[in-house]
Amino acid sequence: MKAGRSLVPLALAVFLSISVRPAPAAAAGVTNDDCLACHSDPGLKSGAGRSVAVDPEKFKSSVHGQAEIACVECHADLKAVKDFPHAEKLKSVSCAGCHEKETQVLRASVHGGTTVAKDGMAVGCKDCHGTHDIRAKDDFESRTFAINLPETCLGCHRANVRNEKGGAFVELYEKSAHYRALEKSGLTLSANCSNCHGAHDIKGVKDTVSKVSRKNIIKTCGQCHVGIQRDYLEGVHGKDYVKGVKDVPVCTDCHSEHDIVSPKDLESKVYTTKVAGVCSRCHDDMALARQYGFLPNRLKTYAESYHGTASKFGEIRVANCASCHGFHDIRDPGDPKSSIYPANLPKTCGQCHPGATKHFAEGKIHNVMEPSADIKDKSPHIIKTVYIVVISAIIGIFLLFIAADLFRRAVRRKTHE
Amino acid sequence: MNDRELVRDDEVFVRMNLAERVQHYLLIFTFVTLTLTGLPLFFYEFKFFKWVLPSARAFAVRGVLHRVAAVVLAVNLVWHVFYTVSTRRGRENFKAMIPRFRDVRDAFEQFFHNVGITRLLVRLGIGKKFFGAHPYWLFKEAPRYGRYNFVEKFEYWAVGWGSAVMIASGFFMWNVELSLRIFPLWVHNIFIIVHSYEALLAFLAIIIWHMYNVHLNPEVFPMSKIWLNGKITGHELRTLHPLEYERILEERKRTLETNAL
Repeated sequence: MKAGRSLVPLALAVFLSISVRPAPAAAAGVTNDDCLACHSDPGLKSGAGRSVAVDPEKFKSSVHGQAEIACVECHADLKAVKDFPHAEKLKSVSCAGCHEKETQVLRASVHGGTTVAKDGMAVGCKDCHGTHDIRAKDDFESRTFAINLPETCLGCHRANVRNEKGGAFVELYEKSAHYRALEKSGLTLSANCSNCHGAHDIKGVKDTVSKVSRKNIIKTCGQCHVGIQRDYLEGVHGKDYVKGVKDVPVCTDCHSEHDIVSPKDLESKVYTTKVAGVCSRCHDDMALARQYGFLPNRLKTYAESYHGTASKFGEIRVANCASCHGFHDIRDPGDPKSSIYPANLPKTCGQCHPGATKHFAEGKIHNVMEPSADIKDKSPHIIKTVYIVVISAIIGIFLLFIAADLFRRAVRRKTHE
Repeated sequence: MNDRELVRDDEVFVRMNLAERVQHYLLIFTFVTLTLTGLPLFFYEFKFFKWVLPSARAFAVRGVLHRVAAVVLAVNLVWHVFYTVSTRRGRENFKAMIPRFRDVRDAFEQFFHNVGITRLLVRLGIGKKFFGAHPYWLFKEAPRYGRYNFVEKFEYWAVGWGSAVMIASGFFMWNVELSLRIFPLWVHNIFIIVHSYEALLAFLAIIIWHMYNVHLNPEVFPMSKIWLNGKITGHELRTLHPLEYERILEERKRTLETNAL
């Protein structure tokens, strides 16, 4: 009995040391239980009618609840208050006390913009992370968990946020292969908003330090598409990109941005029947052709060929630009590694035309009439011209004969009357 | 017995027998099919043809139809050649179909007869002396034609030439790999150009020239029925093909004389 009694304080001391760590709340004298005594009432409202209830369960399972952070650590102006209920008007919560670096980065980002209201931020921490229920980003229920992030960003970007490409531009992400992988297949490795745009450090696309600026987009996509980045940098486009040529296409110029889908998908910007349209934005442009010294009229000459015509009618088993030229690592025709280097043509053409011979290289696919061309390359144009002259002459003679015949018949009818 | 009784106006002659008509039907069928399934590729920029061939599947079907029709056209041509060589009627038709210098003169005379410019000049008092001495240049009478006139001969040989060109170039377009095993690419490219422009020529020739001569021409409007029943009357023979009419008349006269002897 004696021994039993003497153990009580000890047990109490042990119990207290386990359950209540040296919590800051204890020091201030206001415990979370004190706060929740009132704020756990789900009906609790401020004078302005705004709910000020806190769900104790949600808070306890939040990252801050798990760490047993005291309410007054964030609501710091209550630390010193002794009389409860406290005054209604409190200062905004600042996360900077603990999360100083993130707050600074956010302040410099597009969301921290100077345009703004509270605390100098257009979008504050809680707009993405929530308040009492903040969870770690690898927690399935977190707003910033990879699979949940798009919905969090779209909370504002679906309609409220205007941008140059139209309100629905960001929403297009939901059509992308990236989103499908995330949403349908649960592949958290797939690109969500922050993989491309960053998280706290998001910048406008025109800002050169932005992850999605022309300067950085190759690297950004290359985070995952490593092999493609390597191929791209080996090709003509990549080589000019490195030199800083402004007109050279980067990933998004061909693939689009938010709604990237597999090239096999009918909606893809680089679906087989649409490839020619994409390439010809530059390669059928006379000004660019002059500036960079590449051959113009690529689309016109492609469209005239069976490949181009069939493709125009939606046939997919037909060569598009990429079938012959490659795509990410398109090379100069003079490069022996190029798929259209003459010695490689039988192999390239042989992909569709089994047993293709060296004859495939003896003539031009994109045949533009040039005064300097030899007779072989001029022949199609000569034959076309001859045909046009002959057809015009024959049809002209037909029409003359028909006109003469009708004239004689009209005269004859008149004289008979 | 006078001429009109020997070859009565209502007597019916065979201008196209059944075999010839069937050959013509097959030609119509294949020509229409080939045109519909081929021309859209030439006029790929016309929105209308995008409507004719709205999908990749339609395009694939187009390719099959075009090749089927091409084979039928080629077989029909072989049949026609065989028929022409092996039958007496075929050989006679062929002889009558051979182009002669006379056809060029007929075309020339027909044209200036229709225009009548020289007769107008005489009426205006110009060149009276010249035309008095050379009345040929007045083209007072239209030329007289035999079984096949210059129009029909031109069409026949145009179809022959056109088919040969289209079949040859089309064969190599169909078999690209074979073509490029034999020819360099630039020659193959010529096949494609020849095939498309020859098609355009054929299409325009049929639409303008043949359709005028057998449909829109006031003489036969709305349509000459020879292609359906193959029949031509003695009257039509006498007015449209007077030389053939005379040949038949002479033949009958000789028969009569021989019989009388």
